[in-house]
Amino acid sequence: MSVASDAWDRSWVRRSLLAIGALVAVSPLFAWAAGRVGYAEPLENAAERTGAMAHEVTYNPGLLPDYTIPGVDPLVGTFVSAVVGTALTLVVATAIARLLAD
Amino acid sequence: MRKYYLSPLGPERMHIPDGFLDLWIAVVCAVLAGGTLVAAARRADGDLTDTTAPVLGIVAAGLFAAQLLNWPIPGGTSAHFVGGAFAAILLGPHLGALCVATVVTIQALVFGDGGLVVLGANVLNMAVVEVYVGYALYRLLAGHNEFVAAFVAGWLGITAGAVAAALQLGASSAFAYELVTTVSIMGIGHLLLGLIEGGITAVVYRYVADARPDLFPTATTTEVAA
Repeated sequence: MSVASDAWDRSWVRRSLLAIGALVAVSPLFAWAAGRVGYAEPLENAAERTGAMAHEVTYNPGLLPDYTIPGVDPLVGTFVSAVVGTALTLVVATAIARLLAD
Repeated sequence: MRKYYLSPLGPERMHIPDGFLDLWIAVVCAVLAGGTLVAAARRADGDLTDTTAPVLGIVAAGLFAAQLLNWPIPGGTSAHFVGGAFAAILLGPHLGALCVATVVTIQALVFGDGGLVVLGANVLNMAVVEVYVGYALYRLLAGHNEFVAAFVAGWLGITAGAVAAALQLGASSAFAYELVTTVSIMGIGHLLLGLIEGGITAVVYRYVADARPDLFPTATTTEVAA
């Protein structure tokens, strides 16, 4: 079905990876812009309205908590997080796909 | 002040943190999500070969990177591309679900974006509800207009995922069982933010469909067959 039944030639793979690299490269810019604008998502609004904020707990902050490196400039942390996360996702998803292909 | 607000990057806050859901709801969601993914893996068996396996990795990596780009909207909110419906349209719903589940799981485990106990709920909302609802809408409408179908899939797919999250939250004690409040805030909020998701889904779909029409056999069967 769909793309999985069609071979992707190497140039298409290369172009896709370049596009993903471009997204990663500009991620600090978006992080900076988002930091300039105070904002809240609907989930946060609902949590504030109902008093749920006080119930939030963190069992697992992660190796790169909230896409940052503790003690390092947030924009650098963002970039490193973007590189690490994208590469890790690529490797893990490809591994899952290879398992399914066997 | 919560760390969400300190983060320059907070991706889509449909990612539920730990403590927000009652344990039984988290468990039920985990069972539903896990069962669906197992079934998806079985149904997708045969869709992939060693040659095409990297496609899943590339789409998943693309979604992860795209979700990092948080577009601040003046007025106090933000939007960005989540891509569940797009993954479903491009990969088919079963591989799409596995693809988004991989992204959501890495976000939770490595970046603490979404809780550990509630991981099943986040996977259910974003990798199951959003993906399958988005795909169903695409298939329903693609015969009339593929661009509109992709738009509606992205728009209402993410809204459906948000409503699912709102139902889980509204049934939990942390939200004082205020189901109407959670569903109305998250439903309406994502119905509006989802317009951007739909727009990006449709534009990216059009770009990929123009560049590689062979990737969308459901939309271009006659051309491919010819």
